[in-house]
Formats: sequence, C-alpha cells, structure tokens
Amino acid sequence: MTASPSDTTATEEPTGPSALDSYAESVAKSVGALSWSTNFDTVKVLVATDKWTSSLRTAKNELGLIFFSFLSAIHWSNDVEVGDAPTEPVDERLEVLAAVGDLIEGRLVHFSTSLPVNGAALATLTGIYGGANWHEREAAEMFAIDFIGHPNLEKLYLPSEFEGHPLRKSFPLLSREVKPWPGKVDVEGMPETDEDATQDPAAETMPSGVSTENPGK
Amino acid sequence: MTIEQEALKHFSEVSVAVELQTPDMTLNIGPQHPSTHGVLRIVAKVDGERVSDVTPVIGYMHRGYEKIAEVRTYPQITALVNRIDWVSGFANEVPFMAAAEKLMEIEVPERARYIRMILTEMARISSHLMFMASYPLELGATTPLMFALRERERVLDLIESVTGGRFHPNFNRIGGVQPNAGAGPTQKKAVQDLPRGFLQGARDAMDSLLKTCVEFDELVTGNEIFLARCKGVGILSPELAADFGVSGPNLRASGVAFDLRKHTDYLPYDKVQFEVATGTVGDSLDRWLVRLEEIRQSAYIIQQAVDQIPSGPLQAKVPKIIKVPKGEVYVRAENPKGEMGYYIVSDGGQGPYRLKIRSASYSNISVIPILLEGVLVPDIIAIMGSFDFVLGDVDR
Repeated sequence: MTASPSDTTATEEPTGPSALDSYAESVAKSVGALSWSTNFDTVKVLVATDKWTSSLRTAKNELGLIFFSFLSAIHWSNDVEVGDAPTEPVDERLEVLAAVGDLIEGRLVHFSTSLPVNGAALATLTGIYGGANWHEREAAEMFAIDFIGHPNLEKLYLPSEFEGHPLRKSFPLLSREVKPWPGKVDVEGMPETDEDATQDPAAETMPSGVSTENPGK
Repeated sequence: MTIEQEALKHFSEVSVAVELQTPDMTLNIGPQHPSTHGVLRIVAKVDGERVSDVTPVIGYMHRGYEKIAEVRTYPQITALVNRIDWVSGFANEVPFMAAAEKLMEIEVPERARYIRMILTEMARISSHLMFMASYPLELGATTPLMFALRERERVLDLIESVTGGRFHPNFNRIGGVQPNAGAGPTQKKAVQDLPRGFLQGARDAMDSLLKTCVEFDELVTGNEIFLARCKGVGILSPELAADFGVSGPNLRASGVAFDLRKHTDYLPYDKVQFEVATGTVGDSLDRWLVRLEEIRQSAYIIQQAVDQIPSGPLQAKVPKIIKVPKGEVYVRAENPKGEMGYYIVSDGGQGPYRLKIRSASYSNISVIPILLEGVLVPDIIAIMGSFDFVLGDVDR
C-alpha cells in the first residue's frame, strides 16, 4: 500500500516535489526508513520491525514529533469474514500504524511496520510515548499483537474472559450471527414502496455483514 | 507524673497506634456516577484522604464502530459517527466527510463549507456549554447549569432548524450538506437551503451568548469556593500532555497554542479571524477559562461566517452510488473535545476496508491515572470533571 519514493515523485507536477514530499523524505532519511509516501497529504513512513522503537525515539527526540496521536493496526487479509475482500490479493499481514506529530506546524507522520499474522509481536513504545500504553492494549486485544515489554498488557475494552480478536478480518460480526438480521420484514413499508419491500424476501432476511451474497452494502 | 504528663503519654501512644494501622482502602467510583459523564469506573487506592493509585476501567460503552464500519457504506457511517461524542454530533461528521471527499477528490462548494463551519462551531458551543453546566454542578454549584442550558437550548434550536436533529444531525453528505435540509417542523415544503430567519437567529443567539459569557465570569470565575476547588488542582504539564496525546482545550490550557483549525483546511477557518485561547498553568481553572474563551471565539467565528456566507450550491456533483477510490487517508479536525481523526483504508468499494477512529477523549483520559496520583479524594471529581470527556468518545 505504500508507494516507493519513485512512485510518488512520478505523479508529481513538473515543478518538483512539494514541501510535504521533501519533509517526508527527510523524516524517512533520519529514521532509516524502507520507504515513504504522501498520498492524499497523509505522510506515511514504512520502517523495519526491528527499527520500530529506534525510529520512534528519533522522531520524538530529534524530529520534534512529541505529540502521540494514535497507534492502531490494519489486518490485510484475503480471507475476510465480514465486509468485502480486497479486490486485488494482498500479502497476509498486520500493519501497525503509529501517528505522531508536532505541536508547532501541525505535522503528522504515520510510522508503519508489518508483522506476520501468526505470533505477531512488536517492541512496546510505552518507554518513549506514555500515551502508547492504552493504544497498545487496545491493539493487542483487537488484533492479537504482543507488545514486548508493555507494563500491563491486559484487556482494555473487552471483558477479561473474552475470546478472539474482534478487529481481525477472520472474526465474524457476532451480534449478527447470534440474532438474525430483521431485514425489512418487520418494518412497515411506505405506501408506495410496499411492493418493492417484498420483492426478494430471502435477501432481506440475510444478516448484514455475514453472507457473502449480501454483505449489507 | 502529673495528670498532664500522663495525658500526654497516653496521647502519644494513641497516635503511634493510629499511625501503625493505616491500611490502604480501595474506593470504587462509578460506573454510574454523576461525574463520569457516562459509564466510567475508577478504582482508586486511598490512604486516608490521599489517592495513591488510580485505575480507570473503560469499555462499558464500547460499541465496536470500527468493526461495524467495515460492513457499512460511507453514507451509513455518517449516522454512526455522530453518535461517538453525542454532545457535539455534528462536529464528528465533518472530518469523516472530509476524509472521504479527499479520497474521492471532490471539491465541496463554498456555501456548504460555510454551513459546515457554522454548525461545527455551534456544536462546539453546545459541547462547551454542557461543560459550563456540569462542571460547577460537580463542584456543588447548581445555578450555572440553568444559565448554560438556557443558552444551549438556543443553539440546539438553530441546529435543529437546519438539520432536523438536535444531537444527531446526520446532515453531512459526501460532497456537501443535505440539499433538502431546513424543512423544520413549521415548513411543510422542503426548501433548498437554510431555513428562513436562520442567519438572523444565529446573530441574535450569539449576542445573547456573549452576554451569558460575562455572566459566567461574574457568577463562577469570580466565585471564591469555585476558585478554591480548582485553582492549582490537577496541573498538567505541556510535556505530559503531548506525551499522552492530550489535545483540544485540555492541551491549550497547559499553554500550548495548538489548534488544528489554524493548521488544516477541512473548513474555511482561514476566512475568519479568531484567537487561540490558551492557559498558563494547566490546572483545572485554566481548563475552565480556556473553554469559556473558546465559546466567545466560536461566537465571533459564527458572527463573521453568517456575514460572509456566499451563495451557491450545497452539494458537489457526486455519483448516486458512492464508491471511494483505493487509498489511505487520515483527516483530523479540531473537535470540541480535541483532535478527532479518521484513518480510512479504502479498497475502491462502497464501504471502507478499515476505519480507524481517533477520538479525543480516549487519549485525554488516559493521562488521568498520572494526574490523580497523590491528590485528595474530593479533587478526583474536580480534576476528572475539568477534562470534559464523554464516554462515547472514549469507548467508540
């Protein structure tokens, strides 16, 4: 999903790289990143997993990115239980994003690293940004990522006995599995649309987000 | 040994015995407590009146919006996101729309951008007025509630006259705002624009609001008991605030003049003049004063915006079925509670592949355990209340 520097500059106007591009490039250079992109004004810097903490430490101490905005993850998967599968096959992986910014010019940089889906583990950022504590706990329970060195990696939102990791793409929307989707059958249609409402009763009773034929879109 | 000496000896023995028996007590506050603005539970270890350790327990309001969003279309998600921080529903919709529009490369008409700006500032006023009502109430003053809710009612009436909803407007559309809006309860026929009298109504409401701000200054800010409860209490240093991602008025109260309205172009804030309110100490009183000043600044923004609002269409041309091109974008906005952002990962479909919601209150209250260490028990309420969080915004 991240474009290499050559991709980004290729789409640039002939005037050369914008200020945002040169900023992203300088950040990438300082932290020793693999690649960077500025698509849709979103600065994203891809770093290697073993350079995760050192990159973020550089960002905070040398680049002035002292504001910890958020940490989260994206489960890239071809085998999805809810929603639509990616149109093009993707590498099965967990992408962790940490967004940090400054408080002077309003810059925000998303650091990104990819983890294997099974046994995902990453060094904790709690020693660098205090705010990473809750965000890592959330990512741990939602995506099954082990943050090594985290002081208290217990469940944050979910009950402690909860099984599964809800934001993984393999996790079904449980409420719709347990309780059938009412669809339109128990909703009184508007007078002029009564006929439309009963056209395809099978499709209407499908739980939204569960069946692949009618994923609720 | 005289009686006095004996009494003294006895007293010292008693005091030694008392000092020896000081087990920590665990105090549970919430999940149902007036100061928690929802269902937040605080487990505090107290040594007498001193708090030694605090653990917030959250998740009672977790609705799983990030998961649900994966099976919803973009227009459907509008209805979800304005329930995140229900005190300022309209402001939650705007960054989501801006993010989707950025991916679709849609230019929103200027009039729609102005309407969004006016209503966002009204949502900010409504949210801050809720704080003006609840915070003194938590400290034991009931009268300010009446003042604040009276003004909030005017603002909510204006929001309702445009959008039809007081708390959950669901009014933004990708590419602009709902074009048939403004039908209000008295107008049977849907009109194509703002309801008649809205601009004048907004001017009147802002005038009245600015007067109420003076009343607040006289009634609350000068009140000795109020000052005693919140001056020098819960001091948040700018370094700690940045480290934990504390944003919005809470960050500015610590003296950091950072306001996303000055740095991003999601709404035409560059066309209006306003000042960024900041505090100096970062205590609970500063957090109160910053919000009071922000109400004034929002009123000034609305006054300028209703004078400048251009005419024109309310919506850009968008396809009937909205498909967002492939890409990733993060758009953040200065919401009443702080930085609210949406990270959209789109795969070209009708709904996002992944939607990360960055809500302000979540980061704001994550710093509370550190602030509450070593304070007195009554200060728990004085500090927590001053952060103005909403549990829907914490749990999403």
